Amino acid sequence: MYEIDSLLDASRTHKSTPSHETLQTAAEWFALLRLGNATEQECAEWNVWLDQCSEHREAWHYVEIISQRFDSVQSGPDRQAAASAFQKVRAKRVTRRQALGSLAGLAGGGLLAWLGWRHTPLPGRAMAWSADYRTATGEIRDFTLADSTHIGLNTASAVNASIQADVRRLHLIAGEVLIRTASDPHRAFVVDTHEGSMQALGTRFTVRQEENATFLAVYEGAVKIRLADTGEGRVVEVGHQVTFTRDTISAPVPADRSREVWANGILLAEDISLAELVRELARYRSGHLGVAPEVAELRVLGGYPLHDPDKVLAMLEAVLPITVRRTLPWWVTIEAETPGS
Amino acid sequence: MRITLNKPYQQELHVLYTDHHGWLYTLLRRRLGNTADAADLAHDAFVRLLVRPRSFDSFDGTRAYLSTVARGLCADLWRRREIEQAWLETLAAQPEAVARSAEEHASVIQALSEIDTMLRKLPEKAANAFVMAMVLGMTDKEVARQLDVSDRMVRKYVARAMLHCMTLEVGHTVNCNAW
Repeated sequence: MYEIDSLLDASRTHKSTPSHETLQTAAEWFALLRLGNATEQECAEWNVWLDQCSEHREAWHYVEIISQRFDSVQSGPDRQAAASAFQKVRAKRVTRRQALGSLAGLAGGGLLAWLGWRHTPLPGRAMAWSADYRTATGEIRDFTLADSTHIGLNTASAVNASIQADVRRLHLIAGEVLIRTASDPHRAFVVDTHEGSMQALGTRFTVRQEENATFLAVYEGAVKIRLADTGEGRVVEVGHQVTFTRDTISAPVPADRSREVWANGILLAEDISLAELVRELARYRSGHLGVAPEVAELRVLGGYPLHDPDKVLAMLEAVLPITVRRTLPWWVTIEAETPGS
Repeated sequence: MRITLNKPYQQELHVLYTDHHGWLYTLLRRRLGNTADAADLAHDAFVRLLVRPRSFDSFDGTRAYLSTVARGLCADLWRRREIEQAWLETLAAQPEAVARSAEEHASVIQALSEIDTMLRKLPEKAANAFVMAMVLGMTDKEVARQLDVSDRMVRKYVARAMLHCMTLEVGHTVNCNAW
């Protein structure tokens, strides 16, 4: 995902104008993506295109501007009447131009039959659908493994479990897992990620697969890390957290206890920036969620329900000087409140 | 909008107003048959000169420009009235009467007028497909059924209409930045 900030910056300084070809490409992307019926592959390609250069982002910004023109009628209760009125006017003009026929069946009540604003969000990123345990975007779920170990899967997560006679292994494919191991002095409990393996020397810890890194926080006992590339080992003690890649482990810092409550479906914000909160929230929601730079540093406090990200946005909108703009169902940006609204 | 004008242009505009406002008002009143609308549009024409300054080399040139602007403003007004009327007719035809405030009416009419202006030069099918997609949130398939064309064609219409609107917007931005 690229940052909305750079997009907004690009839009503010209209130094150059996107070429006609770029505008055309942006319009075609819009037509393809607008109801989220594009394939995952296509969405990924769109992201790549958007990332390529500021001209592409600027062109996409024009897509946003045009989409916003439709906001007020689209979100109002009268959108069908509005669409009908529009068709009626166009039909009259066509009649006047004696070009009858092209609108047959449309000018009248045909449109009124349409109900509801339906959409499907953009498909999420690649999920391991064949995994033993998995959650969808926005879902948080507990599972009990064959050895009575409890695992809590965070949003968009997937793990494979293999409980053998000599060792218990969990492979975290995506997302985050909170583990409360069942005690068993004869069988080790090991979690594998892309960056290495972690052996539980205690009972409670959380592991999160990030892009090219693994995050580990230990809440009870200790966990021994072994890096995939170097084989280097290190023990992370209770109350600490680290991030490691295939060959490096960060210095341990005190574990952020407020993070732990995600397993109860709560996002606890203890004086963090709006940008940080949104970054976290975005993981529970399909599509794009961006913050404008002028509101990114607003401070946020309180507990928010992770199972309902849109409610969280409404809650934030109620207490902060911000406006949540839904350009498309899956394209949401948080901006400064417009004065007077 | 705050507009900073240099002194000479301010004076020039003042002269233009003194010389031509009365004439333009009379012209508009004849065309519209309504003094209030005529006063509004005459005012709008000068606001345009304020926002986008331009110089004239002759008395006749100025009047030719102003009468072109006036024609455009009249057309806009008529289109807006058409929208307004169609909107009220549509509401009247609805089975259940929902009370709406004057502001709510005005905001829908304003939005529809803007959309109408944007889509005016588009072919019918592309404009209709776009409205169905953008206002009603219909899928390509649903629009295709209504218009009796293929899904692919709907996607082309939507892209074409979006490009059309974007191009207008880019042109507008460039013009606004030019002065």
